[in-house]
Amino acid sequence: MTGPIRRELHALWHSPWQLALVTYVPLLSVLALWWLFSAGLPRQLPVALVDLDHSRVSRMLGRQLAANAVTAPVAFADLPAAVAAMRRAEVYALVLLPKDLQRDLLRGAGHSPSIDIRYNSQFLLMGKLLSSQLQQSLGAGLLELAGLKQLVSGVPRARVAVNLRPVQSQTTALFNRNSNYVGFLVPPVLIALWQLLAMLVFANSFNRELTPAPHDSGLSLAFWPKLLAKLGVYLPLLALHGAGILCFLYLYLGLPFAGSLSVLVIAQCCMLLAIWCLVLTVFLLMADSARVVSFCTALFAPAFAFMGITFPVHEMPSAAQYWRLLMPSSHYIDAHVAQVSYGLGWPSLPAQLASYWGYLLLLPVIYLLGRRLQTRLQPGCEVKP
Amino acid sequence: MSLLQLVINELKAIVSDKAIAVTLFGGVLFYSILYPLPYLHQVPTEQQLVVVDLDHSSLSRQLLRHADASAKIRVVARVDAIATAQQWIAAGKAHGLLVIPAGFRRDLLLGKGVVLSYGGDASYFLIYSAVAEGLVAAGLEAGKGIQLLGLLARGEQQAEAERVLNAVRLNSVPAFNPGLGYTPYVVPGLFLLILHQTLLIGTGILGAGQWRTAGYWRETSPLKLVCGRILAFSLLYSLFTSFYVGWCYHWYGVTVQASLGRVALFLLPFLLSTAAAGIALSCLFRRRDLPTQVYLLVSMPILFVSGFVWPLALIPDPLVCLSQLVPAVPAISGLLQLNQLGAAWTDVLPKWLQLWGLFGLFFGLAVRGIAGKRASLQ
Repeated sequence: MTGPIRRELHALWHSPWQLALVTYVPLLSVLALWWLFSAGLPRQLPVALVDLDHSRVSRMLGRQLAANAVTAPVAFADLPAAVAAMRRAEVYALVLLPKDLQRDLLRGAGHSPSIDIRYNSQFLLMGKLLSSQLQQSLGAGLLELAGLKQLVSGVPRARVAVNLRPVQSQTTALFNRNSNYVGFLVPPVLIALWQLLAMLVFANSFNRELTPAPHDSGLSLAFWPKLLAKLGVYLPLLALHGAGILCFLYLYLGLPFAGSLSVLVIAQCCMLLAIWCLVLTVFLLMADSARVVSFCTALFAPAFAFMGITFPVHEMPSAAQYWRLLMPSSHYIDAHVAQVSYGLGWPSLPAQLASYWGYLLLLPVIYLLGRRLQTRLQPGCEVKP
Repeated sequence: MSLLQLVINELKAIVSDKAIAVTLFGGVLFYSILYPLPYLHQVPTEQQLVVVDLDHSSLSRQLLRHADASAKIRVVARVDAIATAQQWIAAGKAHGLLVIPAGFRRDLLLGKGVVLSYGGDASYFLIYSAVAEGLVAAGLEAGKGIQLLGLLARGEQQAEAERVLNAVRLNSVPAFNPGLGYTPYVVPGLFLLILHQTLLIGTGILGAGQWRTAGYWRETSPLKLVCGRILAFSLLYSLFTSFYVGWCYHWYGVTVQASLGRVALFLLPFLLSTAAAGIALSCLFRRRDLPTQVYLLVSMPILFVSGFVWPLALIPDPLVCLSQLVPAVPAISGLLQLNQLGAAWTDVLPKWLQLWGLFGLFFGLAVRGIAGKRASLQ
């Protein structure tokens, strides 16, 4: 077995791109993607504030918005200018404090004024966040005002708070306490990237056999040992990358982590085996380097969308749920969340590994396709591109 | 060879090369269906909620009915301890919990404040926000009901009491994507990126395969070859782009605000600069399977740096500056402003000029690159 492995290492050393894929490319891309999201919490998002009232109350509400860490009010003199800024995506939301806001509030009689909020829902994440934060900030400011009114009308101070808010709510973000985007988005993004890298590394090492070196027999001799040697060389290397990503996120950056990292390393090795099976099947089926890479790319590129982190799995149409099962990363991410968030530990491992059973069906297919390619590769037989 | 003949040769080369044809025709079609597939239901609704009811009163049951009536929440179980609720969440059978404290109804009637605790699984932000929104709305309603009872008991008139409770209305309305749907959010940016990446891959594979073999590409001047190639790919991609920006936007319910002429005018330099960039970069490739790999690895960073997923102001400046060299980045943000947010043409003019600038830059690089390749081969 050492022969094919040594041969594989030799090939790796002499292929600059393959060497790049297992050394600096993962390092650079992991760091770049983390750096992109490194701010972690969205804060100081510009919000257009149109104050048509210019009263004590409207200024107080403006200060409330400035005090919120998420919003950064930008004053606009009139509505059209604010709308134009919103269309240019310079501000992500718009708050309109109407004329006579203070008078209507204090006068008591007449209609109750309404404060208009428009938020940019085309940028969904920012829009949703701003909508809830703006309502919270303005609501808190108005509540204070209502409290003042109650005190004036003779309600004892102790009763005011209860009168205003008999039911208080304490909303907790489970498992990711401060709704940090580094903890939410970066791990699945990096896993998707790592899966792409693993796919490319395997595909390249298979493709190399299509154009063997002058004194190399290629795949015509020792067919299966050579294919297995690739697993022997690249599985530990790629598992090292995966473990490196986990260490970077959960040990160095210190993201919250409830379960066991070693369980995740085992789950990652299973994911790599599944990727190896998939790529090998495609390779045996196509046996052409550019087409193998194109097909695998088409298969693996949308994996992130199907992981179910940004959009919940149980809300996907059933066609998407079936397609999702094809992707090794979606099996892994379930184990990932179970460890990182729920802290299920070792007992959950067998059930998680069992979810990969579908890939076992590929093994007979691989065997049959391998036999077919072997007969084609026999000396005297042309390899059909 | 006339330019027309060259363009025809190019188109033939593109269609007869299986790897390119599969990427261009197959990829563009396949991705237009596959990428939006998970998001077709647009909005997460009916998230499973497990309730820890420590009060067992008429009011707590009413609160539950209100929560269950919310479109965003479905109550799947009532349990007696928080630890049990935790197991439900860890097993994936529920995504949020609501804790109603003991003495909830009694305290409210006695005029003491009570605290309801909500929790949502923030491993999935969309689920969390759906659970939180649904529960806060239900909790507010319950609170208002109690407040109203209290005010009426103290002798306020019904109409007056209701007005006190709703002193100010906060009228919060989403703009531009009124349904808060996920496909109108993802599709515009993502589809431009798919066009960009497949165009780069197509030119890359074509170039990488040709440099060392003989053919029509050796017989023309570099300048003419670049012009012909850009023309051929732009012709093909104006079809793909019409399919994506026209039909697919319509099919996936993307809101469209700009006129056809303006969109076409804006996308013209995008296609030209991307094709030129693809030809310039194709001079760097020697193997036909490399372009796909390189462009695949950079596609996720390009998507995230284009500013509609994560606010530009929070992305480190060096990354933003670097990304301005990628035609997809100004194109995505410009077209979003023009077509989805309804910005005026003067607002996107800088981005349009930037795309023309990129076209000039990459066009020069492409001509030089091809001339360099020729010189090194002779």
